[in-house]
Amino acid sequence: MKARDLMVPVNAFLMPGDSLEEFSKNIRIIRSWEKTCGIRSLPVLDAGGKLVGILSMYDILKAVYPSYLYKTDLSLFTWDGMLESLATKIIGMKVGDLMTKAVITVKDDHPLMECVDHMLKNRISTLPVVDHDGKLLGLIFESDVFFAVSDALYGGRP
Amino acid sequence: MSPQTAFWVATAIFILAYALIVSEKIHKTIVALMGAALMIVLGIVTQEDALHSPELGVDWNVIFLLFSMMVIINIMRPTGIFEYIAVKSAKFAKGKPFMIMVVFSVVTAVISAFLDNVTTVLLIAPVTLLICQALDLDVVPYLITEALASNIGGTATLIGDPPNIMIASKAGLDFMAFLNNLAPVVVVILIAYVITLKFIFGNKLTVKENLRQRIMAMDENEAIKDPVLIKKSLFVLAITMTGFVLHGMLHMEPATIALFGAALLLLISGIKEPHHILSEVEWTTLFFFIGLFIIIGGVVKVGLIGLMSAKVLELTQGNLFATSMVVMWFSAFASAFIDNIPYVATMNPLIIDMAKQLWPNLQGTALLHHPDLMPLWWSLALGACLGGNGTAIGASANVIIVGMAEKMGRPISFKKFMLYGMPLMIESVIIATIYVWLRYYVFMI
Repeated sequence: MKARDLMVPVNAFLMPGDSLEEFSKNIRIIRSWEKTCGIRSLPVLDAGGKLVGILSMYDILKAVYPSYLYKTDLSLFTWDGMLESLATKIIGMKVGDLMTKAVITVKDDHPLMECVDHMLKNRISTLPVVDHDGKLLGLIFESDVFFAVSDALYGGRP
Repeated sequence: MSPQTAFWVATAIFILAYALIVSEKIHKTIVALMGAALMIVLGIVTQEDALHSPELGVDWNVIFLLFSMMVIINIMRPTGIFEYIAVKSAKFAKGKPFMIMVVFSVVTAVISAFLDNVTTVLLIAPVTLLICQALDLDVVPYLITEALASNIGGTATLIGDPPNIMIASKAGLDFMAFLNNLAPVVVVILIAYVITLKFIFGNKLTVKENLRQRIMAMDENEAIKDPVLIKKSLFVLAITMTGFVLHGMLHMEPATIALFGAALLLLISGIKEPHHILSEVEWTTLFFFIGLFIIIGGVVKVGLIGLMSAKVLELTQGNLFATSMVVMWFSAFASAFIDNIPYVATMNPLIIDMAKQLWPNLQGTALLHHPDLMPLWWSLALGACLGGNGTAIGASANVIIVGMAEKMGRPISFKKFMLYGMPLMIESVIIATIYVWLRYYVFMI
């Protein structure tokens, strides 16, 4: 199978100037609509429809998480309410401020193994699929790739 | 190459390399290695000189001492001992904001006296950030005061700060000599520092009572990850420190003691694969030293350093008190703006050359430890170490702190750092000046 066989058409996206609330709302809507679960990110397109970034739940949590906890084991000493109070520091930030700008993409006619490679090496769960001109065609989700593996082993989905 | 040409080629490499290091356009380690390679390729020094000559080559004593201490720290870091100390300190200060500043500064200074300053700051700063967040305090004054304290503390011992390690190795001075001559004045400087902090911050910092409970609720024992390894590490650290105290008597270089400590801890720590411990050694810093030593070897060989030392003596007319004062204050301001490592690497041979001009009949220890020369070594150490506090780029610990603050969204501008750093640096150098004058020129002890 190739990337285009598994990709899901883009039915929701953000613009760099959107508020972060827009992201939360959209993520919730998609979860209730789509059969596939585990959508964690949304593509960010500019006015011309060009892919300029991707915003994930991870990006938002990382913006709230204090960097000094990274290399230490100090989370033992955090307190109730700390996360909520630090969350306020991203109030007013826009999608464009927190999105990942260097987006890893895959070409639509490339094999699935390449998709898995990108997902594992970069720890991402959503991979935008683009054509040879760089135009966004759809998204591949980690869960769909997993089901492809599962199907290969045990046949079609129940 | 004629000696004349060699002189100008070596001088050009030296000036260009230092200019590039100061400009930060190219990473300093790359510059140092390129400069070193050119010195050898162009035949200013031979490879034999560069790698094996005690006078012109790499000072392996410095490299192995730094390397070994890095290994020891890399093994100790994940045990949780440093987090334990920091949380315990915050609780000892009862969560009171100014007390926390004082206790953290003193703890940082004491740890810095025995470990590398950057390591100390990297260990203490994350806890400081957490504590300040818990108490809803501005973290900037705390970070700056800790960086300053680490540079003050590092001045106290042979292993506290790279300039001291370099001076000790070149001048053949032992751990106890540093402790006897520098630690007393560092204690005075630290006390003066804390009193000054009281004036600056004493009444400005307040904290809500309920927030203090967050600190008191922390259980430092939870930080301990590997109690067995902590015991082993402290055991090895105790042996190493004893070795440092005795190394003069044992006729061993500090690098030998440290290497033994590092190897012993690797052996008994139960680490099966030392790869990650060794890969976390700061090789970039070590190779920066290696490159610099070779560059300096080149300019020593062609006589540039000799020329410079003659000029300094001409300026001070051979008056050693004046020379030591010039050395201390010039070192302080030079180190505030440029890396004190290349600075001291240049000053060491310069002072040795000066000694040769003053006492042409002496050599070896008789020359390097000439009673009239000793205050110069101490002035160089005090000036170069304390001077680092002057600006945000004066010492590596400052650079780390500024970087951390920026990541936290609380950038510390060059000006802001200097506003605290420069007056406190000048205060410390004034105290050091009075100390050197009283101890070596009035009481002569």
